[in-house]
Amino acid sequence: MSNAIKQSGAYLEIVSFHLGDQEFCIDIMAIREIRGWAPVTPMPHTPPYVLGLINLRGAVIPVIDMACRLGMKMTEPSERSAIIVTDINGKLVGLLVEQVSDMMTIRSEDLQPAPEIIPEAQRAFCRGIVALEKSMVCFLNLDTVIADELAQAA
Amino acid sequence: MTTSPSEKHSLSVSQRLATLAAAAFLGFGSVLGVGFYQNSRSEAALEKAIVAENGMRTAEEMRLASIELMLIAMDTIIDREERKIQPERAVQIKASLELLDAKTPDLEALARLLGKSGRLANFGSDLAEVRKAIEVDLKELVESGAPAGDFAPIDDAIDGGGERMNALLTELTEAAANLASKRTEEARAESRNALILQAVVGLLVMGSMLALIWFHGNALRRGILGLRDSMQRIHSGDLTSAVAALDRGDEIGEMARSVDLFRTAAMEKRSIEQKAAASRDEMEHERERQAAEREQAVARIKAAVDALGRALNQLAEGNLAVAIREPFEEGLDTLRRDFNNTVERLSHVLSNVKENVVSIDSNGRQMRSAADDLARRTERQAASLEQTSAALEEITVTVKTATNRAEEASRMVGETRINAEESGRIVSEAISAMARIEGASNEIGKIINVIDEIAFQTNLLALNAGVEAARAGEAGKGFAVVAQEVRELAQRAAGAAKDIKALVSRSGNEVETGVKLVQATGDALGRIGANVVRINEHMSSIVQAAREQSTGLNEINAAVSQLDQMTQQNAAMVEQTNAASHTLAQDAEKLSELLSQFRNGQVSETAMRAAAPAEAAPSIKTSPARSNTQAGASIAAAAKPVALRRPDTAQASTRPAPSPAKALMGKLAGAFGNTSVSVPSVTASGDNWEEF
Repeated sequence: MSNAIKQSGAYLEIVSFHLGDQEFCIDIMAIREIRGWAPVTPMPHTPPYVLGLINLRGAVIPVIDMACRLGMKMTEPSERSAIIVTDINGKLVGLLVEQVSDMMTIRSEDLQPAPEIIPEAQRAFCRGIVALEKSMVCFLNLDTVIADELAQAA
Repeated sequence: MTTSPSEKHSLSVSQRLATLAAAAFLGFGSVLGVGFYQNSRSEAALEKAIVAENGMRTAEEMRLASIELMLIAMDTIIDREERKIQPERAVQIKASLELLDAKTPDLEALARLLGKSGRLANFGSDLAEVRKAIEVDLKELVESGAPAGDFAPIDDAIDGGGERMNALLTELTEAAANLASKRTEEARAESRNALILQAVVGLLVMGSMLALIWFHGNALRRGILGLRDSMQRIHSGDLTSAVAALDRGDEIGEMARSVDLFRTAAMEKRSIEQKAAASRDEMEHERERQAAEREQAVARIKAAVDALGRALNQLAEGNLAVAIREPFEEGLDTLRRDFNNTVERLSHVLSNVKENVVSIDSNGRQMRSAADDLARRTERQAASLEQTSAALEEITVTVKTATNRAEEASRMVGETRINAEESGRIVSEAISAMARIEGASNEIGKIINVIDEIAFQTNLLALNAGVEAARAGEAGKGFAVVAQEVRELAQRAAGAAKDIKALVSRSGNEVETGVKLVQATGDALGRIGANVVRINEHMSSIVQAAREQSTGLNEINAAVSQLDQMTQQNAAMVEQTNAASHTLAQDAEKLSELLSQFRNGQVSETAMRAAAPAEAAPSIKTSPARSNTQAGASIAAAAKPVALRRPDTAQASTRPAPSPAKALMGKLAGAFGNTSVSVPSVTASGDNWEEF
């Protein structure tokens, strides 16, 4: 993946979403499906950001509150909230976001790395920053955000 | 029984009779007592004699019994061969012994009576010995058939005892017989003594009775005879000699004193009659003397009356300076002084009257001018009343108009009230319409939500389509574009739905505000309706008040017109008063003229002419009162013409007077000749007022 980004002249398809006032985006290739909010079944002994489980056409997948996972306050789910079902290293995980705002195509050069003053551990969440005309969008590294947790959960 | 110190203390008649009765009672009592005493004594003596005789009889019986006993004992001894005592003998023995035993106490009593108790000492033992010999020893001997020698001691014992008993009993019998005869003698002597004693006592009593009767009889007879003689002397007219037995203390003394009272009363009566005769003579003399005095007094009074009459005549002629100089006799002189005082006072009073007449004259003039003023003011008052009446008419019209306006206003207010109610209904309808609008808005909101939901789902589908297209790579490029388009459409739909939602919610708010405003309008309209009702009530009370005012004004109008009428009548009356005051002034002048006749006590010429009918009077000697009445009549005659003229002046003065007193006076002067003036009625005077 990192190789692909480094290819000049290449295009990236991303899907942006809102968490509170901030805007984040992920690679569209990681997304399997986007669906509306449905109640979850809570799981015992899980961290606070793991909301529970949902039934996706017979498959049971965990749902993570992205806002909570990224150190913000918990998202209050509504009808307009959305669950983005992602495929991370072959495991399906549902991400709860407030609103899916856009689907866009950017060039690789537009993705700028995060400033280096941020410590390494924290910088691992972010693959880069997309500077748009109106706002800045953080390109999340789903492997680091989710992979450890999935490993732990497994 | 009253006693006076002078009378002797002697027995009264009843006391005398009481002493007689007491003496007789004492005498009979003593005779009876002596008889009873003597009788009891002879009875006692006889009793003793009987006792002695009984004792003698007892002793005799006992002696016979003892002899019989001895004889039976002898017979038994003789018949000792039968070897038993024959039953009849035994019975006899037993009876004799019992008799002896029974009589022994009597015998002892007899012996004590005779003073021979000592002789009886052996009687008991003798009797016992005999009893033993006969009942025990003899019986044993007989039954045992003892030999004859054995009977000798018994025989001796029986004989000895029997002899001793016999002798004793014989002695006692004789002694008792002696005692009995002696006692009988004593009783006889006693009865003789009693007879003698009774006779002596009876004689003594009779003697003393006779002496008492003689003594008291004499005393009474002497008193009564003396009294009878005195009464005969009084009857025959001898009142000087004293009455006998005055000093006695008994009833006769009282009678004598009563007779003496009669005597003294008769003496007093005789002396009073003599005094009465003397006083009658004295009164005759007195009466004659008084008659003479009275004639003298009558003569003096006649002289005084003549003098008084002359003076009164002068007074009647108007001479107030008259006075009686020569004094009358003592009793009548006060009359002269009183007359002089009266004339003086009369003169004084007339001068006072003169002054008062002057005062009346001036007051009359003042009254005249005052009456004129009053007339003018009354006219002015009438005019003012006319104006008032006119003003009241105008006010009445105004009030009526006001009433009509008020009624119209009331009607309009009623309509307003109905309109207000109508608008209230409309307001409620508007409120319900607003509510319906609100409901429709809500429906729209729901539909918009559905559209929004659809847009959202469409957006999601477009996103998923985009995702699929991206994953397809180059092959999905076209599809990705379509998905993008669909997404944009969905986003526009969602934006439009959001806009509509905002619009609907704003319109809902507006509707809510409208509902509130409409409700406020309804409330205001309700308040207006209530106020309109109150206004209506006020208006109707105003209408009522206006009507009452109208009625009151009518009454005031009537009252004012009545007042007007009365004022006009008052004006007429004031005119009459005016005329009367004018007449009064004239009368005062006339009175002044009349009084001038009496000036200085000299009769003036005019007064002489006015009093012409009275001129005949003074020569006649009459009482002052009569001449006064004639003078009064003459004055009345003089005053009459003035009084007759009065109605004319009154009639004349009722005519309208154009100006104050002077013009009226002028008219009055002219009116005296004008007899054709009719009596003006109230309306006529009212017309005159109009002219005025």
